[in-house]
Amino acid sequence: MLDIAGKVVERAQAHGAQQVAASAYQVREVSVQWRDGAVEKLMEATTRGVGVELYVDGRYASVSTSDLRADALDTFLTDAVAMTRALAPDPFRTLPDPALYVGQSLADLQLADPHYGDLTAVRRRELAQQLEQATRNTAESARILSVTTSVSDSQSQSWRVHSDGFTGEKAGTSYWLGAQVSVQDADGRRPEDACYAGARWRGDVPDPQGVGEEATRRALSRLGSSKPESGTKTLVVDARAAGRVVSSLLSGLSAAGWQQKRSFLEGKIDHTIGNDLLDLTDDPLVVRGLGSRRFDGEGMAAREMPLFAGGVLKHGFIDTYYGKKLGLAPTTGRMSNLRWRLGQRTHAELLRDVGDGILVTSFLGGNANGTTGDFSWGIQGFAIRGGQIAEPIGEANISGNHLTLWPSLLAVGDDPYRYSALRTPTLVFGGVSVAGR
Amino acid sequence: MTTALANALAYFGRFGVDESLIRTALSAALARGGDRADLYFQHRVAHSLGLEDGAVNRAWSGIELGVGIRVLRGDQTGYGYTEDLSPESVRQAALTAAAIADGPSRDRPIPQLVATAIPQRYRAKTPWDTVAAATRLPLLQRVQERAHAADPRVQKVTVHFSDEEGAVLMVDSDGRVAFDEQPMTLIHLSCMAEQDGKRESNGGNIAGRAGLEFYTDAKLDKLVQEAVDRTTILFEAVQPPAGEMPVVLGAGSSGILLHEAIGHGLEADFNRKGVSIYADKLGKPIAAPFVTVVDDATPQGARGAINVDDEGNAAGLTTLIHDGVLQTYLHDSISARHYGVQPTGNGRRESFRYAPLPRMRSTYMMPGPHTPEEIIASVERGIYCGNFANGQVQIGAGDFTFYVKNGWLIENGKLTRPIKDVNLIGNGPKVLEQIDMVGDDLKIDDGGWTCGKDGQSVPVSQGMPTTRVRAMTVGGRG
Repeated sequence: MLDIAGKVVERAQAHGAQQVAASAYQVREVSVQWRDGAVEKLMEATTRGVGVELYVDGRYASVSTSDLRADALDTFLTDAVAMTRALAPDPFRTLPDPALYVGQSLADLQLADPHYGDLTAVRRRELAQQLEQATRNTAESARILSVTTSVSDSQSQSWRVHSDGFTGEKAGTSYWLGAQVSVQDADGRRPEDACYAGARWRGDVPDPQGVGEEATRRALSRLGSSKPESGTKTLVVDARAAGRVVSSLLSGLSAAGWQQKRSFLEGKIDHTIGNDLLDLTDDPLVVRGLGSRRFDGEGMAAREMPLFAGGVLKHGFIDTYYGKKLGLAPTTGRMSNLRWRLGQRTHAELLRDVGDGILVTSFLGGNANGTTGDFSWGIQGFAIRGGQIAEPIGEANISGNHLTLWPSLLAVGDDPYRYSALRTPTLVFGGVSVAGR
Repeated sequence: MTTALANALAYFGRFGVDESLIRTALSAALARGGDRADLYFQHRVAHSLGLEDGAVNRAWSGIELGVGIRVLRGDQTGYGYTEDLSPESVRQAALTAAAIADGPSRDRPIPQLVATAIPQRYRAKTPWDTVAAATRLPLLQRVQERAHAADPRVQKVTVHFSDEEGAVLMVDSDGRVAFDEQPMTLIHLSCMAEQDGKRESNGGNIAGRAGLEFYTDAKLDKLVQEAVDRTTILFEAVQPPAGEMPVVLGAGSSGILLHEAIGHGLEADFNRKGVSIYADKLGKPIAAPFVTVVDDATPQGARGAINVDDEGNAAGLTTLIHDGVLQTYLHDSISARHYGVQPTGNGRRESFRYAPLPRMRSTYMMPGPHTPEEIIASVERGIYCGNFANGQVQIGAGDFTFYVKNGWLIENGKLTRPIKDVNLIGNGPKVLEQIDMVGDDLKIDDGGWTCGKDGQSVPVSQGMPTTRVRAMTVGGRG
């Protein structure tokens, strides 16, 4: 496949492209879905393809194909170069400054499990079955309507070649377990919840027992949920749910949004966006990290980059193109892993500190206005009374604006969520508008 | 070979697909004792163009080619796919899918292949492969120029245009063959406007299964006017008060309520598993007698229209709720067999990389007895929803949400102040019961809606007459 990427660069140049970047990839995916005592679906496939960025006479296009037959590929590149020539020129489009390729970390990020392939079809089914058994390991198993579990793994490889000499190779593996549980409520509702856990190395994946039990615990805890009273409340967003709020904040860091003036964080570098607790860094070099990489999607060497320090916005996600348009030095176009400055308090201690409020355990729908920072999301979770988790609540919304939300960040937990590259800890916000009954 | 069959097989002939490859693949798929198998060949060529900062200066194109192979044993599915259509690679993918069954190797004859006749609900009059890139560019330019001309507050405009052509060939182990060509196009306009140092952005899009002829001047003008109006009105808009209140859904894209509140809950896979809140409600009244809801494959040229579903089953108009009574679920072949009914033509998939699932097509409510004016006049204090960004549902608990991008406060029966950026949340069966007025102004929205389920996206349409819901929770402020 590295050969294919190299050949594509060569052929595209022969057809008239001055600069070319090609990425060839191959991904093997296997999954088992299990439901109520039997396999529901088995899936196994290897997918592959090639993506090409073309810079032709000052014009730019990006193309991809999964038809890798030599003739088809050549016709495809001929057409792609011709299509690119029909566009308006864009002086800001070039490959990155080659100086930025230099300085890749030499650390072994351990992104691929060397024993990938040892997991057998039989073992996958056993794991799926064990997950189900764990979900039903409860005194209230009579309430369970249905259980679906999943076991999946993948192995991906990609090869990137630029016409300016850059070459890079990436390889990674991942393993995931999941369990979804539906339970019968007294009033006819059938609430459902799930637990998922995964890792790059098989040995880091937690035991199916814990994953299955957690899914059931979460589903049963939804029974009898009701709308909370509307009002302004203290909100505890648990580590797993907090990713929604944080990715919405990070959408304001895109240089494309700044250049197009569609970002509530445009022009806000070195401005205070939150209080001192808002402190997080993009860290591409986490060993076995879900978002780790030695070079980014443009081939630029990956480096640690503070995003917010003590509430102050330090850096955004700036790729070569929008960096040139804005006259800013490129950083990287996309997030890798987040590293938070964690708090000292556990989830339970944070609830005690809050006393009365709402614990959000998941979001349902909603959206945000990236230009103004306004957001409105559906929530579910629990009332917090006297520092303890009380009745389940749902069918409620929260609304606000990022520019007033982050200054009212009251606490950050000690518990980063392991199963997302965002690695969000529990977050506590004061004075959030909740709409219920 | 009949002419119909030869025609059905002709398109994929250029990729080396012939009857012999098909028979080899189906035999391999059933080699371990599966009950049934099917093949889904797909070729898709997509192009898109982007306009930013005044010039059409970026393009994307992609080609997808491959086959998905499914083996069924009872309700169980084995699935494999490959992008390499050589006989050996296809046979390997078939053997992978065959592993859902674990019986001994055996030979199963595949009957004679017979092509299914399918209707024509979309045909590109000017197909995209005959349209040069240079011909597409002025479309984007024109939209941009008109957006700037429409209002001087519009400062930045981006236009995204895409078109797609492709074909699918489906063959199952009963010898049924179905072939369909599936064009699609979409144009999306976003505007950023400035007023008194404040910025707002919004946009609009239109989509359909058609060729270049889709883009009439009238359509593009309407797109521009709506996108500009929806952006500039945001300067006056507020987030509404929080809490429960009556909600009036405007005609058109409000069909998102049906999609979330009931459509997903009626997808038969959820009911087969007993996890949907509608699992035991067939034949029962679930809404007022003037509420009739359909899921329709037939609207000519609509984004959600299909000629045949992705399992080769006939697709027509399926009545979900008739005069308030729940009629049927949306079935694919697995659930139809499970329930002992005919498939409803709702087996759909994103591409050859995925097994089909019961999915919606074009979902809308039939017109009712009220006028839009009397519906608005009936509300003392509530909100009117104009257009939407997205929605989501929990199938079992029934809670669903949709995000309103633009709307109005209703005070004393009149639209008073514009509102923006608010999420609404309700419970599907409760909201259906609380629909107490339905207008006579059904409109099917021509927006580029996409529905996601189990990691698969499929194009859909939706529609609605003006409708009143007695109470929903509005995620406003204060």
